[in-house]
Formats: sequence, structure tokens, C-alpha cells
Amino acid sequence: MTEQIIKPDVKFINDIIASGGESVKKCFQCATCSVVCNVTPDDNPFPRKEMLQAQWGLKDKLINNPDVWLCHQCSDCTAYCPRGAKPGEVLNAVRQLSIKHVSMIPLFAKIAQDPKLIWLLFAVPIVLFYVVMRFAHHETLEFIRLGENMDQMVYHMFIPADPHMNAPFPLKMIFALTAVFSVLSAVVGVNRLWTGMKAQAGQLKSGGNLMEDIISSVKTIFAHSKFADCNVNRLRQWGHMLLSYSFAGLAISGILALIYSYLFNITGPYALTNPMKLLSQASMIAFLAGIVILIYNRFTQAGKAGMGSYFDWIFLSIVAGIGATGLLALGFRLANMSAGYAAFYLHFVFVWLLLAYAPYSKFAHLFYRTTAMVFAKYSGREGKQV
Amino acid sequence: MAENKKVLVIGGGFSGLTAAVETAEAGFEVIIVEKTPFFGGRVTQLNKYFPKLCPPNCGLEINFKRIKNSGDIILHTLAEVEKISGQEGNYDVTIKLSPRFVNDKCVGCNACAEACPVEMPNEFNFGMNKTRAAYITHNQAFPFKYVIDGKNCKGTSCSKCVAACKYDAIHLDMKAETINVNVGAIVLATGWEPYDVTKLDILGAGQIKNVITNMQMERLASPNGPTDGKILRPSDSKPAMNIAFVQCAGSRDENHLPYCSYICCMASLKQVTYVREQYPDSTARIFYIDIRTPGTRYEQFYRKIQGDQNVTFTKGKVARITEDPATKDVIVEAEDVMSGKKIKARFDMVVLATGMVPSTRAAKIPGDIAYTPEGFVAAASLNKGIYAVGSLKSPVDVARSVQDATGVAIKSIQSARR
Repeated sequence: MTEQIIKPDVKFINDIIASGGESVKKCFQCATCSVVCNVTPDDNPFPRKEMLQAQWGLKDKLINNPDVWLCHQCSDCTAYCPRGAKPGEVLNAVRQLSIKHVSMIPLFAKIAQDPKLIWLLFAVPIVLFYVVMRFAHHETLEFIRLGENMDQMVYHMFIPADPHMNAPFPLKMIFALTAVFSVLSAVVGVNRLWTGMKAQAGQLKSGGNLMEDIISSVKTIFAHSKFADCNVNRLRQWGHMLLSYSFAGLAISGILALIYSYLFNITGPYALTNPMKLLSQASMIAFLAGIVILIYNRFTQAGKAGMGSYFDWIFLSIVAGIGATGLLALGFRLANMSAGYAAFYLHFVFVWLLLAYAPYSKFAHLFYRTTAMVFAKYSGREGKQV
Repeated sequence: MAENKKVLVIGGGFSGLTAAVETAEAGFEVIIVEKTPFFGGRVTQLNKYFPKLCPPNCGLEINFKRIKNSGDIILHTLAEVEKISGQEGNYDVTIKLSPRFVNDKCVGCNACAEACPVEMPNEFNFGMNKTRAAYITHNQAFPFKYVIDGKNCKGTSCSKCVAACKYDAIHLDMKAETINVNVGAIVLATGWEPYDVTKLDILGAGQIKNVITNMQMERLASPNGPTDGKILRPSDSKPAMNIAFVQCAGSRDENHLPYCSYICCMASLKQVTYVREQYPDSTARIFYIDIRTPGTRYEQFYRKIQGDQNVTFTKGKVARITEDPATKDVIVEAEDVMSGKKIKARFDMVVLATGMVPSTRAAKIPGDIAYTPEGFVAAASLNKGIYAVGSLKSPVDVARSVQDATGVAIKSIQSARR
């Protein structure tokens, strides 16, 4: 065996500790975690080895390690850990650092992840949508201010949404541009992660069929079959399923809204029977149920799974914020109460935060866990699911 | 010169017996109260001591003989302390004596047990076999006097044992009584319990037949145990030829016992020799976090077992135990930390190296006694004149219990003279 010189990266260890992995040094390598984990491959299982790598600050080994992402944070390891080393929380911290490492614009990752920059996180969309609002028709603002002659509250006049509304930055355009930015960031990040994992893995066991592996991974993700293997966070399967299906539903209805307004010049408010509207209403219900289940699970399982970090809670808060402000905006509109405008304004602040920081916040797991799952199959790390 | 007072020892296991004989041989009167019907405690349940591998009875018998030769020891079995008050040099203690229903005329002929129609789980053998309500734990029990189990005996309505006894030794109308004693010092020696395996859910929770505890293994290997010393697995009484030892079953785990139980590594290494001696073709595998064999003799013992080709040591804690429903074989899962591979191995029988729980975790001693969060007696915070010994303070082996009890004897003598 050739001699190997291990250089501990102290900064990386401290970063893990600062990112919610403060328990990392308690691990004494008993390997209970690798056995109670139901989602690890049997060969070279995680998270015991990752705990050792984290204690030694072996950054390259960790951030280019698909296993870090194959972990679904069931927290069975954390519940059974005899030392309170919380492997689930440590791997979550490593994932957070991995997101930062592969990010296209590291400043965005810093804003999304640093609790000290929470003011900046919120300031950007608050100012942005205020500016957009100021570009609304002068008379609309007057209507709203005076509360006159409005049979029905019309949000899209408050913040101009559609292209024909004569506003330089209509809402839908802002969201379309933000989405482009997010997709670009994600593509860059996924590419960096893939390259890193490939370099770290060295010679791949089997050159898989990439398309096949992608389809198989997406199927697994949609079926939520990995979540079903969790014990402690079992309830999360349903919360996450509802939430992710609702995101898909809302994304489709959002794209439909863009098509309506840009291709067919049909603008809102849309009839409640409109298929796009129906889809978004159904998604909204699933969204609310999903986020309530997830937060309930967090609180009830905290004793076993740990309380999570800022990284988790800011993401959950933004998602919950979208649900709460959306529900309030709808309620106030139906009740014809002008407080709805404030709710509507905040709703877009939250939605924009989610979208703009998607590849930088915890939401990035959508891209990177998928990438790692595909890589695991592609590299022969994980058996193909039939 | 101050008046010499008596010393009370609570608990008649090896620690308590040692403290009692050492104190008595220095010329002080001693009272021992033992909760069960027999003296000797956990040591009587062992097959062999480590690391010398001699039978525990040799050590116990010496102590029993010393007790018999000393006129200054008052023995109470089936006795429990109900109240302690006072201070160093002057403690008033209330003791409840439960009836044995058998007097000193008993010669140990076994006629009562043969006549007794009531069967009950044999607690001495950890429920691995049954005993009658009229019983003696084993052939070298002290006192060698049968006992009628008060809870399970049908009482005077049955009286079959009374009729069977030729010596007028059985009196089912014996009543419990309470006595008060005044002593100068008190030695707490109530010992330990094995950790409750039903709490170890991933290790089978006590539901898998061929998964036993290390203390059950002692009984299985003991010539006076339920199988007359043959190591047979419980499901089908076949020789257990391929055994896994699961270390730290509850110990070193903040979800269970947040401390090392000290004896389990040596106990498992010792039990490996039971199997290997009995069946030359047998194999054993020890799953561990670290093997802890402190000192010179224990480390040498470990080295000796390591030299056995049929014994495998695997670094990696077992975190899942299941049963093959068809064969009743036991499937053990662990990660071999050295190779990074997950192991799923099949065994005839599995021994859980369950840890030591101080008896005071569940049953507190009446009186002003301080405890650690784990339930051990906080020795440094005890009132003057009260001392704790052995496994009541921290997990220890027999040798250290004896040393500790000998030291405590002199402390209690000092208190008894104040």
C-alpha cells in the first residue's frame, strides 16, 4: 500500500460545525449508523465513513461524494447514534457546503445560507417588488388607496403582471428572467458536481446508460420510494410528496399563465373553471397540506432527528411563507379586504426568494440529489431500480 | 474508648459478604440483610471467573466458611431495609423479614419440591427453565435450606409440601415480621441488574429465541444451570456451534447506558472459551466498538483468545438482529469498519453483552442517599457512616468489588467506634 498523507482542512471542519454539524466530533466510529440506514448501498455504506471524513476535514472526499446526496436524512442514524453525533445533521451540513462549493455565484449561496445576511435576503425582493409596484398605473394605485369604485379587488393592477399593461417590468417577465437565472445557475452547479464526482470516483465501475439512469432516478424521485425506507422521518414521505407534486403543478400552471398572456394575450383574473386555475388550486391545497406535514414532522421528531439548522428553517419558512401569504391573499380578495394587497405583495417576495435562490438554498437538493442519484446509478454505485 | 457498635451490610452478594467478613474478623458485630432467599448474589450465577477461569464457588465458599466460623455475623435472607434514620455511630434501621416458610430443620432432601404442584419461571436461570414454588437455586446454595415462594405458593389450601417433609421443616403459617436495629455504620452493597434487553429494539428486543444475554450464557454454561452446562440454543436445544457476541448491547450508548459497563468485553472473551472448549469445531465472532481489557492480565487474556483461529474479531457495532423464521438462525448486521463492507452473517446463537445497571436505578435505598444521573450511588455525597461498595458505585468486576469491600470494612469500623 502506498503511503498517503492526509491533510486535514480545519476551515472545512469549522464550516461543518458552523452549518449545523456541531456534533460531528462526538462520533466514535461504532458504525451503528451505517447499519440502521435503510437507504445506503451495502457496499461501502454511509454515513460512518463520511463522519470520519468530516472529522478530518477531507473536503474533496466529501463534496464530490454522491453518498452525501444519496442520504435522504431519514435521521434513523441520528436516532440510534449512541453518542449524539447526529450523522443526519452532519451530512446535511456537508450538503450545504457542497451547494456553496459548486454554486455559479458564491455570493448568492452566502446570502442564502448565512443567518447574518437574512436582512439582505429579504431586502432584495422587498425593494424589487416595491419598485415594480410603483410602475403600476397611477390611477390603479389611486383606486386602491381610496378603495373606490372597485367591485372586485384586482391584484394584477396593483403589481402589473402582464405585458400589455404598459409597465416596463411586468411581474411575469421578472419571474421568467429569474427562472432563466436559476436554471442557468443549476446547470452550472450540476455540471460542477458531476465533474467533481467523476474525478473523485476515478475509474467508473460500469459506463451506464445516462438516459436510462436519468429516467430511473426521476421515477424513484416521483414515487418517493426512498422516503418510504425511512423510519424516524416516515411522515415526511407524504409531506414531501404533496409538496413536490404541488410544485410541479404550480410550475405547470405558471408556464400556462405565461403562454396565455404572451402567446394568446389572455390575461387574469382567470375564471375558477379555467384548467390552469384548477390545477393551481389543487396544487395550492397539496402545497399547504405538504408544508404543514413537514413542519409538524420536524417538531415532533426533533428529539430523535435533531432540530435542524438555519439552512433548513429558512427554506421551510420561505415555503411556509408562500403558503401563508398566498392563502391570505386569496382570502382577503374573496372577502374584498384591502389587506389582501399587502399579502399579495409579500407573496411575491416569498415566491421570488424561492425561485431566485433555488440552486443556492436547500431547494438546491432538487438538482444536486437528482444529479447524485443519476451518478450513483451511472457509476454502478447503486443497483438499478426496476 | 467509645462503645463498639454493629455494622449493617445491605446486600449479600460478593461485595457485601466481603465487607461483612472483613469487619467481623476485626472483632465487630455485623448484620447482613439479603433480599433474596440465598447469599452470593450475581457471582453464584456465573460459570467461571475471568481471567483465571476457575468456578466462582471456590471464592464464595471461602467466604461462607469464614462467616460460619465467625460468631459475630447475623444473617437475614428475604430481608429488606424499610427505613434508615440517625447519624454516624447511631443509625436506627427498620428491616422487614419476609417468611421463608422453611425452618432450620431442612436437610435439603428435595421432597418438598417433588411434591409441589406449582411451576414458575426459574429466575435464577433468567427464565430459561421452570422451577417449583418449593425450591433451592442450586446445589451449593447458601444457606442450604429450601424456600417456599410466597407469591406463587397456594398456601395452606395445598400443603402438599408440608405432608412430604419428613423433618417438620415447612410451616406455611409463618408471618412477615419487622425488626429494628441500631448500628454505627451502614454498607450499601445492593449490586447490579443486567440491562433490560427489551429496550434494545434493533437487537431483537428480547423477542428472538436464540438471542440470549451474557448472564444467560453463564447459566447455560454452568454445570448447575438449566442445560447442565451444555451450550444448547434455546429454540431447538441443538449445540450452538457458531456464536456471535454483540458487545456494547446497551452500554456506551446515551439512549441506553451512557457508560462502559467494564466487564462485558472480558465476559465475552471468557464465554468464547466456554464454547471453544465444549465444541472443538465451533466458531465465534465478536462484534465490538473497542475491545476494553484494561491492565496486564486482561490484555494477556485478550491476546490469548485472539490467537484462536476459530475466533473472529470484527470492529463494527451490530445494529440489526433478525431471525430466520424457518431455521430460527439469527441474522446479524454490522458494518466491518476495517473493510467498509456491510456484513450480514448467520449464527446459531447470539449473545448480547448486556451492561450493568445499578440496582438503585430502579429500587432506591430508603434514607438520605445521593445518586448519580445513571442511578449509581454518589459515594462522595453519602452521609458519614454510610458507605457504598462494588457495582453500586460504578461497573466493576468481582476482583475490584472485593478490594473495594475490604477497604470499606475499615471505614465502617471507624464509624462504628465513633
